[in-house]
Amino acid sequence: MTEDCVPKSFHQAEPVLQCTGIERRFGGLVAVTGVDLSVYRGEIFGLVGPNGSGKTTLTNAITGFYPPNKGTIKLDGKDITGTAPHKVASLGVARTFQNLALFNGMSVLDNILLGRHIHMRPGVIRTALYWWLARRDEMRSREIVEEVIEFLQLESVRHELVDGIPIGMKKRVELARALVAEPRLLILDEPMAGMNQEEKEYMARFILDARAERGVSVLLIEHSMDVITGICDRVLALNYGEMIATGKPREVVKDQRVIEAYIGVGHAA
Amino acid sequence: MFYPLAGVRHQSYVSDSKLFPVPTDRNLLIVLTVAAIAAPFLLSSLYLNSYVQPWLIWTALALGLNLATGWAGQLHLGYAATMAVGAYAAVHAARFGIPWEFALLIGGLAASLIGSLFAFAALRVKGLYLAIVTLAMQFVMDWVLNHSPAISGGSHASLQSPRFALLGQEIASGRGLYYVALGWCALVTVFMMNLQRTALGRALVAVREKDYAAAILGVNSFYYKLIAFSMCSFIGGIGGALLVATFFFLAAPEQFSVNVSIQVLAMIIVGGLGSIIGTYFGVALILLMPGIANEIIANLTSFLGLPLGNETLAHIPTTVYGALIIIFLLVEPLGLGKLYANIRDYFLVWPFDQFKK
Repeated sequence: MTEDCVPKSFHQAEPVLQCTGIERRFGGLVAVTGVDLSVYRGEIFGLVGPNGSGKTTLTNAITGFYPPNKGTIKLDGKDITGTAPHKVASLGVARTFQNLALFNGMSVLDNILLGRHIHMRPGVIRTALYWWLARRDEMRSREIVEEVIEFLQLESVRHELVDGIPIGMKKRVELARALVAEPRLLILDEPMAGMNQEEKEYMARFILDARAERGVSVLLIEHSMDVITGICDRVLALNYGEMIATGKPREVVKDQRVIEAYIGVGHAA
Repeated sequence: MFYPLAGVRHQSYVSDSKLFPVPTDRNLLIVLTVAAIAAPFLLSSLYLNSYVQPWLIWTALALGLNLATGWAGQLHLGYAATMAVGAYAAVHAARFGIPWEFALLIGGLAASLIGSLFAFAALRVKGLYLAIVTLAMQFVMDWVLNHSPAISGGSHASLQSPRFALLGQEIASGRGLYYVALGWCALVTVFMMNLQRTALGRALVAVREKDYAAAILGVNSFYYKLIAFSMCSFIGGIGGALLVATFFFLAAPEQFSVNVSIQVLAMIIVGGLGSIIGTYFGVALILLMPGIANEIIANLTSFLGLPLGNETLAHIPTTVYGALIIIFLLVEPLGLGKLYANIRDYFLVWPFDQFKK
């Protein structure tokens, strides 16, 4: 990995996430191979590639759903390769899903409150004696949740059932749920899929603000190149599970292999 | 005056997360509480002890099953087995001379222990497979009860339950037993209501809805399913013990057969999975409707002088009861609790309902 494309301000910092030589196979299919990437503190790192290029597999490897067959994953220098998803979450990795994973039948507020899970201490006795043992904890979480609700402008749907709100809002609720966990690393899997231009711009601003105000590092998977070039500090392009280009967004987007991967050989200008 | 949400302005998160944030609900609750406390003085002992008291005990039981099936989403067909463990453990403890309050606790803990041990193995499978495995638990328990005289006294025997007493005070009157059932049912209800506003309850719902999404939030789904099963078994164990101690007065294996498991499951499905008020309605329908339908139809036929045979008379209530379950579930598949919620939502904004939506 060429370090000269790392923005100057990140040089002193430790990488929040460091993946080396990640390989993940499903039977005979090699979904991801030989991928190295590091995300520095406060960085927005883009992950691009055509459908089926292994972007989501890579995030699933990081979050523990499909542990890599080869390679190591380090979070803040600590090896987390093969750790179970709920433990990865409690170490400070939050993510959103490509096809929303909200809890239907619960209100928006309860969905976001669930994001606080790793900071709370749920228990049977605490539940039974709510007034004495749980209320303070619940209220503190509620305050943090309300800050994020205000930040993402979700006040109007706070008490609605999450199944009943528009998709753009759902994407925001998912971002809110990830943010209230106060993660070190935030993985956003196509947060703008299915959104119109205005909603995309809102979302892009929310991501930038989240970094500015909360200092979170972001691994962003996205297809729209305007978003990638607009908000990412660095980009990694994958094709058929392999790294084909890495560096500053504008350079990667112009890379011949990236253009070929997206448009096809012979058509590239 | 009509608009119950008028003037409800929460100024703190504490007030927003009260059990009953709407004053109308609080007033309704006060009325119901007064009615429940006054019931022994208003109802004949027949109604009190053969309708209302079992209704309360079964509601507490059904709430326990609803915790595992409605909240955590784990289908459980062996609930009567955990009730049996609780009942036999408590009765044996009481016969041994242990005071009833501890005997009940022993019943609950024994049921919880066995339920959790079983769940530890059973929870490795999901959905219908879990249903079958829990059914196996039911049959194992049936077999154990019928084949171990040390526990049940033998296959056709029954075990006499000692006189019920709490805090050294013997409770033998119908009124006293009713209050015991009321107290236990209220405790379980308050616990379930608290569950709806704490991290534990949210984690259970998360596990039910999407376990992979729960995992990414740090929820260990196996652990929470286990918690759900052990809590469900604890409530079931104490409920089973109370059923024997205050209602049947003796424990027999057929009181905890597979029919009972199916019946409790029917109660929460008709009432509404994950609905507390619905559980009350569902238990009332399943438990009380056959008797009430029987009475109404018998009266009706004698009033109209219809020449109906005894056999027909015996079958009509069952048919009516079956039809009612189907009708209610067709009208509202989410159960009677949802039906109540729809009506309540309508009246919450009435007569200004055009402003909502």
